[in-house]
Amino acid sequence: MRDINEDGDEMIRRIVDELKTLPAVPADATARVLARVDAARRGEGASDYGSADDDDVIFFPATTEEMRAFPSAGSEAVRARTSPGASRGTGRFSRRFIISLPAAIGYALAATLAGFLIRGAVPRRPSEPTVARLPNAPVAESLGARTKVVPAAASTRALQEAPLKVQFVLDAPRAKSVTVVGDFNAWDGSKTRLERDSTTGVWSALVDVRPGRHVYAFLVDGKTWTLDPNAPRTKDLDYGTEQSVMIVGMQ
Amino acid sequence: MRADRLVRCVRWTWAVAVLVAARSASAQASQGLDSATAAAIAPIVEQARAEKLPVTPLYAKAREGQVQRVPVAKIEAAVRTLADRMREANEALAPDASEQELNAAADAIKSGVPAQTLRAMRKAGGDGSLAVPIGVLTQLIARGVPVERASMEVVALLQKGAVARNFIALEESVRQDVLAGRRPDESLDLRLKGIIPNLPQSSAADGLTNASAPRRPR
Repeated sequence: MRDINEDGDEMIRRIVDELKTLPAVPADATARVLARVDAARRGEGASDYGSADDDDVIFFPATTEEMRAFPSAGSEAVRARTSPGASRGTGRFSRRFIISLPAAIGYALAATLAGFLIRGAVPRRPSEPTVARLPNAPVAESLGARTKVVPAAASTRALQEAPLKVQFVLDAPRAKSVTVVGDFNAWDGSKTRLERDSTTGVWSALVDVRPGRHVYAFLVDGKTWTLDPNAPRTKDLDYGTEQSVMIVGMQ
Repeated sequence: MRADRLVRCVRWTWAVAVLVAARSASAQASQGLDSATAAAIAPIVEQARAEKLPVTPLYAKAREGQVQRVPVAKIEAAVRTLADRMREANEALAPDASEQELNAAADAIKSGVPAQTLRAMRKAGGDGSLAVPIGVLTQLIARGVPVERASMEVVALLQKGAVARNFIALEESVRQDVLAGRRPDESLDLRLKGIIPNLPQSSAADGLTNASAPRRPR
């Protein structure tokens, strides 16, 4: 038993020596560690240094000047801090530099979650167009052959459902504006306006569309429902209107 | 004590952030709907949300009707029918159907595809997305291939390891054949003969009564 105690003392001495060699450790933290080690060795349980509610409190100096003011965690500082009743708020380490471990973890988690939520709530900018289908080529015929998958998630299904770039083309030289509406843009014409080629008068736009079967139509001048002359058509059973159909996917 | 306060603070932050995100998503989804349509479909959307169904397609269906100047009552009926189809699709493709798959499956159900076929497709398709296979099935039916025939062939293709590009190639070939005047079911027969031999599990199954049975080396 005596051998064990001697071994323990030797170990503590070595730990203290090691701690003393560390240059910039705050004296307060060192003192607390030493006080606990000492109390544990004597079997006294928790040290009477500090209260129960600050078990996980760590003190950090805020600036290098403050750290230099305490160049070493030497014996004087240790003695001063380990004496019962020593105030942890005294000296140059004031309360504004205190942060607890659960608080730090909590703040980090909250910041991460807020980041994810904000990222999800804010619509992303569409990525740069990769490739396009030739004007007036049949939709289903050319889909996928000249498109690239942008990997959006790690899982197989998410990867297979990553959006592809699809070009919509309408030859309408007299139109003032052309938009495409479909299930891929929630039938919102304001989302996808086609651009007019000044030389040919052909309207076109590149749109991110997820693989699968999609129905759509063009809105010419904001009101005229126009089907894609190059795509197959289907009749919608819910509203009874005709729509253009395309199957999007990698070929 | 301080830790308790901070934990409480984090909880409040989290709750507020969730609320803001939900409101923002809801506002974004319902954007563009007039107040009468939004009010008419609100209970259907809430019910779908409570059942953890995606609500974006419901708003989209309402907007589709609005773009076509359909009366609100008809829009409401269409959204309700879509919610029912999505519910049925969700059950058939359980447990983890993606929104794309649900949209495709709801369309397929509208075309007359039974839920049983969707279940068989999920079983045969494994982890892969069914959005394209289901879409092609719907399109084959729209072209005039009988539902039972199209369903059976699409499930068989999935079982043989067909992937999205095989289905797209099949649909495109049938489309061209039909445009050329061939009957849809006849075209399907013809084109399957060109696709099936190239599928991974077709060649492995050649000459075996049971494809999964090990073959003793000779």
